Amino acid sequence: MARATPSNTWTKPAGRPIAGKPIPRPTRSADVQAYIPEMVKGLGITMKHFFKNTKEMVLGQKPDPVLNALEPGVTTISYPEEKRPYPERFRGIHRLTLREDNSPRCVACLCCSTACPAQCIAIEPAEYPDGDRRKGYERYPSSFVIDELRCVFCGFCVEACPVDAIRMDTGLHAVPYDSREQFIYRRDLLMSLSDRSGSRLTANTRHEPGDPTHPGLSRDHADH
Amino acid sequence: MTSVELALAIVKILIVVLFLLNMAAIATWADRRQGAMVQDRVGPNRAVVYLPSLVVRGIVFFPPALLAALSVFTATRPASAPAAAETMVAAAQFAVAVAWLGLIVFCASARSGGPINPAEEALARVEPRSIFYGGVMAHVAVFFLTQAIPLSAAPVVARIACVLLGALLLVTGAYAALRVPEGKIPLRLLGTLHAAADAIKMIWKEDFIPKNADRLLHSLAPLLAMFPALVTFAVIPFGDKLCFEDNGDGVFGFGDLPLLKRTVDQAFTCSGHVVNLQVADLNVGILYIFAMAGTGIIGAALAGWASDNKFSLLGGLRAASQMVSYEVAMGLSVVGLFIIYGSVRLGDMVQWQAEHAWGIFVQPLAFILFLAALAAETKRIPFDQPEGESEIVAGYFVEYSGMKFGMFMTGEYVELITSSALLVTLFFGGYHLPFLDRDGINVAFGDATLFQYKMTHFAVSLTYVLAFFGKTILMAWVQVFFRWTLPRFRYDQVMRLGWTKLLPLTIVNMMVTGIVVLAVDSAPAGLVGGLQVAADVTHAIVAVGGFAAVVALIAGLLEPVERQRTVNSTSSRFAAAAGGTKASPQQA
Ligand code: SF4
Ligand code: SF4
Repeated sequence: MARATPSNTWTKPAGRPIAGKPIPRPTRSADVQAYIPEMVKGLGITMKHFFKNTKEMVLGQKPDPVLNALEPGVTTISYPEEKRPYPERFRGIHRLTLREDNSPRCVACLCCSTACPAQCIAIEPAEYPDGDRRKGYERYPSSFVIDELRCVFCGFCVEACPVDAIRMDTGLHAVPYDSREQFIYRRDLLMSLSDRSGSRLTANTRHEPGDPTHPGLSRDHADH
Repeated sequence: MTSVELALAIVKILIVVLFLLNMAAIATWADRRQGAMVQDRVGPNRAVVYLPSLVVRGIVFFPPALLAALSVFTATRPASAPAAAETMVAAAQFAVAVAWLGLIVFCASARSGGPINPAEEALARVEPRSIFYGGVMAHVAVFFLTQAIPLSAAPVVARIACVLLGALLLVTGAYAALRVPEGKIPLRLLGTLHAAADAIKMIWKEDFIPKNADRLLHSLAPLLAMFPALVTFAVIPFGDKLCFEDNGDGVFGFGDLPLLKRTVDQAFTCSGHVVNLQVADLNVGILYIFAMAGTGIIGAALAGWASDNKFSLLGGLRAASQMVSYEVAMGLSVVGLFIIYGSVRLGDMVQWQAEHAWGIFVQPLAFILFLAALAAETKRIPFDQPEGESEIVAGYFVEYSGMKFGMFMTGEYVELITSSALLVTLFFGGYHLPFLDRDGINVAFGDATLFQYKMTHFAVSLTYVLAFFGKTILMAWVQVFFRWTLPRFRYDQVMRLGWTKLLPLTIVNMMVTGIVVLAVDSAPAGLVGGLQVAADVTHAIVAVGGFAAVVALIAGLLEPVERQRTVNSTSSRFAAAAGGTKASPQQA
C-alpha cells in the first residue's frame, strides 16, 4: 500500500508530492518467496567463482597480485598485498616540524589543542632558558601529546597552527597496536616523523627572532 | 570401568578435542580464504617463515620416507591370505595414486619453474589432465588386475606391491626434495600460518576490561561460550563399534587390545569386548546436544550484560531471544527423524541410515528446517544479528580483546565444526559410506546382490572414521559458503521466520511423518520390499554422484583456461583519454 508522502515544507514547495518515477519492486513470485531455490542459486554462483579463482591461482594462471598492483585497469585492490599510494593531501599521522637546529617549530600557543574537536592534544608550554634569544618571544612545548586513538583526523590542528609546526603529511595511517598506551604519541616520537620526502623541517621557514632578516619588531623597539 | 576402558576414553577425548581445536583454527583461516577466493582476492596468505633449504628438504623428504618405511615394514610381516589380499589391493591403489599425484606436481613445477632436465621438458609438454585421466584408468585397471590374482599368490604379490609402493614413495620424495631450490625458502603453507600468527598475537594483546564492567562475568563469558561447543561432540559417534577378541581371562585388559577381530559380519556378532568410537554413549543422545547447545548462548548473553556497553547489551539480548525462538523449531524439526529412526541415540540413528537410506532422503524438509535453526543457534550468517556489525558494531563482544575475543572466535568455529558433525550424523549417514557394510562392500538392491568384496574389520573401521571426519569437513566447507553468499536478515525478519514459518512447518512435518510411518508399518510386505529397493537406489545415487563430483572437480581444476582481462571502461582509461596524467587509479 503506497502512502502519500507527507509534505515537508522545509525541503520542497508545500502541498506537492515528490515527483519521480517509482522504482518497481521485484515481483513476489513463489520461487523468490520460498527463499531456498534462490539461495541454492546464489550458492552455485559463489562456488563457481570460488573454483574458478582457486584454479587460476593454483595453476599459476593468475598474475601475481603484488607485481600487478600498478597495472592500469585494476579496480579491486587486494589490500594488504597491494597498497594504493595515498593522495598528496592525505591526512595521516601527525608530525611536529623542526627548525634548522632541530628544535621544535612549535611555539606552544595552544591554538591546535583549542581547535581540536576531539580534544586529544595536550601541550605543556615552557619558557626557553635564560640567555636563549627566543626567550621572551615564544615558548616551546615541554610536552606535546596526541592521542591518535581519539583523533578524528579532521586536520583542524594543522589549519589552526600559526607557525606550521604541526602537519599531517607523513603519509602514514594509524598502525594497529597491541594496547591503548601505544596510541599515545609523545613529543619526541612526533618530532621524529618525517614527511613523505623524508624531510623533518617545516616547509614554511620563518625568520628567527634576532636574525638580521627578521622583518618584525625586535627587542630594541620594545622600550620606546 | 577397567583401566583399559579409561585409557581408551582418554584417547577418544583427545582425538575429538584435537580435531575440534585444529579444525577451528583451520576453519578460521579457511573462512577468510574462501571469501577471498570468491571475490578474486588472495586473502590471508602472507604469513611466512623462512627456513634454510636443507630443513625444507628434510620436511619434504621425511613424510614419504616414513610412509615408505611403513610400507616396507608391512611387506616383512607375515599375513593370512585374506589380509594379504587386502594389503595388496590397498598398496597397489596407493602406488597408482602416488604415481599420478607426483607426476602432476612435477609437471606443474616444471611448467612454472622451468624444466631442469630432458625428462622434465617432456613432462612439461604433457597436459596435466591427461595424467589425471590416465591415473583414474590405472586405478580401475589395477583394481581388476589385483582381483584376478588368485588368493594363494596374494601374500607374495602383496609383498611385491608394498615394496613397490615404498620405492615409489622414496623416489618421489627424494626427487621433490631435490627440486627445492637453494637459499632461504619462504614457507607460506597457503596462509595457514595466519591462524598460528593470530593466536600468538591475541595472547600478547592488551586484555581490556571496561571500567564499570562486571569483572568476574566479563572473564567468565568467553569460557562459557567455548565450553559447550566442545562438549557437544561427546555423544557424536565418529566411527562404528570395534570388536576385540578376549585373550582368555574374560575381562577387558590391555592384553586384548592387539586382538582386534579380523572380520565381523553384518549383524555385528561379537563374543569379546565392544568399544564404541564415541566419547559417551548416552541414552538421551541428541537431547544432551540440545541441552548443551542451549547453554552456549549463556556465554553470549552474559558477555553482553557484563560489558557495560549498550551495543553489547543489545547483542546479548538478541542472542538470547534468538536462541529461545529457534531452540523450539530445532527440537521439533528432528522429531520426524526420531519417529523414523526409532531412537534418540546417535549411534542407532547412524545404524538405521546405514541399513536403509540417509536422513536427507527420508526427511528433506526437516533437513532444511534443522539447517536454518542450527545456523540461528550458532549465530552464523544469515542469522548473525547478535554481532550485526552494521547496526551494533560487534554486538556482545564489542568490549573484548586479546585472547578472550579469541575464545569467542574459537567457540564460534568449534560450533561450526560440531554443527557440521551433527548434520552429518543426522542427515548424511554419519560415518557410513554407501554400500560399505561392516563386512565389506556389498552393492545390493533389495535381495539382488550385484557385487561383493570382503574387507577386514580394521579396514572398514578405518574407512568409516576417515569418512566421518571427511564428511564433517565437507559440511563445514558448505556452511562457510552460506556465509559468503547470504546477506544478513533484519531482526524482525528473523523472529517472524522463526515463529511463523519454521515452527508451523516443523509441526506439519512431524504430523505428516507420523501418518506416513503408521501407514508404512501396516503396509503389505511387497511395499516394504519396494521401499528397501528405493532406499538402496538412494545409496547408489550418493555413490555415483560423489564419484562423479570428485572426478569432475579434479578434471575441472586441471582444465587450462587463459584468463581474459577485459579492461575497457575503468575510470583511469577515461581519465587518460581526457588528457589526464594518471595512467592508473593507483598513481595518486
Ligand atoms: S586532526 Fe583534528 S582531531 Fe586530530 S588532533 Fe588534529 S584537530 Fe584534533
Ligand atoms: S603545534 Fe602549532 S598551534 Fe599547536 S601549540 Fe604548537 S604552535 Fe600552537
